[in-house]
Amino acid sequence: MFGIDDPWILTGYGLAIGLTIICIIYGWWKRNETEGDE
Amino acid sequence: MVDTLTFWVFAAIYIAMTLVLGYMGYKKTKASEDFMLAGRKIHPWIIGLSYGATFISTSAIVGFGGISALYGMGLIWLAMLNIGVGVLLAFIIFGKRTRQLGQKLKALTFPDLMGKRFESPFMQYASAVIILIAMPLYAAAVLIGGSRFVETTLGVNFTIALLAFAVITAAYVIFGGLIAVMYTDAMQAVIMLIGMVALLFLTFNLLGDPTTAFTNLSNLSPHMPASLVSKGMISWTAMPEFGSEIWLTLVTTIIMGVGIGVLAQPQLVVRFMTAKDSRALSRAIPIGGLFILLTTGVVYTVGPLTNLYFWNTQGKVAIDAASGNADTIIPLYINSAMPDLFVIIFMLVLLAAAMSTLSAIFHAMGTTSGFDLWSHIKRVRSKGAEPIAPSLKANKVGTLIMIVISVALALVMPESIIARATAMFMGLCACAFLPAFVHGLFSKRPSALAAKLSLGLGGASWFLWTAFVHVKESSVLGISKFLFGTNAVLPMPWQVVDPMVIALPISIAALLVGIWYDRAHTKDEAVINGRAGTAE
Repeated sequence: MFGIDDPWILTGYGLAIGLTIICIIYGWWKRNETEGDE
Repeated sequence: MVDTLTFWVFAAIYIAMTLVLGYMGYKKTKASEDFMLAGRKIHPWIIGLSYGATFISTSAIVGFGGISALYGMGLIWLAMLNIGVGVLLAFIIFGKRTRQLGQKLKALTFPDLMGKRFESPFMQYASAVIILIAMPLYAAAVLIGGSRFVETTLGVNFTIALLAFAVITAAYVIFGGLIAVMYTDAMQAVIMLIGMVALLFLTFNLLGDPTTAFTNLSNLSPHMPASLVSKGMISWTAMPEFGSEIWLTLVTTIIMGVGIGVLAQPQLVVRFMTAKDSRALSRAIPIGGLFILLTTGVVYTVGPLTNLYFWNTQGKVAIDAASGNADTIIPLYINSAMPDLFVIIFMLVLLAAAMSTLSAIFHAMGTTSGFDLWSHIKRVRSKGAEPIAPSLKANKVGTLIMIVISVALALVMPESIIARATAMFMGLCACAFLPAFVHGLFSKRPSALAAKLSLGLGGASWFLWTAFVHVKESSVLGISKFLFGTNAVLPMPWQVVDPMVIALPISIAALLVGIWYDRAHTKDEAVINGRAGTAE
């Protein structure tokens, strides 16, 4: 895929992008939550 | 060749903006808490940008970018850890608890937090001493990196570049404290983001779409230098051979060492304490995550691709084009392949990366010396038991002294030691602080004994492995050679196993033994007291 054959490299990219998406979703989800709500 | 006048115009605008933001910080800094923790009310976006800009220094872009040109795309795992551990775990698990505890205990610095959490002055000043020994080396490394870059690209004398760099950064750190540091960080982070995104697009514009570029890079494998193949390299688009020398260096030192080491760095931990509430930290997470992906993710992708560029244009792979010096691969690529305007922007990116990290280190060292150490000395001298109130003046003087020490180190220390300083600082922070810090954050009954054992044994075992086994550091420190006539007292493959792989488990084990001993002892005392109480 994309000229990269090693699944470890593809997994690394997938995780890096996936974790960034999780950062965005988490920030949006918890944007109004204070300690008391947690 | 870059037009020097154009660069200086851009640089003047950049410096003017930096000083204006520094002045804004100065106007808002009225008390010690403003200087040390930015008044605990920084905007979430500024926290995210400042955290990212402090995290990513010139060495992450130039140094690790060069390493990715050498060792290939496996470094994307470091970017992954930087996002997963350095942002997600750091903010959600560590950051929120650090902020809560910091506010509850009224802690002002990382050593202050350690001391108050464990109710142990020893933990405060031992942490302070470790920071004040290791951090100037890190500061000197960042100073040298930035100054060498200015020297090679603009022909400015190294010493003048270094002094100018230090004076401009010192001006806004000393007068504006953490508010100025974080405001300028945010501006510097935006410059870094623009530069790195442009670098990615320009690189694919040059080498073809991603599939074409990576396929051509994979096809370059037969031309890989024999010295890399013999140590385990297979391709720039693949991980090295499992267990080989390069695999061990890549995984234990670069990916794990730097990726995990970030969690207990005092200058980053302090960023969590600047948030007004946990909501501010949640809102900072998307900015931090995106920033790390777009900086490290880009440079670890472009780094390996420089091999394809140099092969297409010079018939050489990157390390050969850079005459064997991996640190010059990224600057050489930028200078040869990119349009002049981008070369100027990239120079500002590197200046911004260096200054944002440097200002954070200067500030952390300044507050450690001006508050943690100075208040301890004052308390001992006055023979008082009461804590000494923080002083704005002492913090400013402390910052100035630590800046002078860092500049002096940068001018006199051998560059071979300085070059290893970043990895050494991160490793030491992880081994000495991380287990005790985690215990302090999450345990309901934190054990001071366990924390002291972990800090002491973690720090000591890290030092022993660094000085006597891990050959990259032991060979430049020279202690092992002086005492035993050899750079490393253990054979391969131990010589390439990072000190953190050994010292962090020792630090964790010491913590667990300390907790077990403390709890068993407390239980015994409770039993004895209980019986005594019954007898009475």
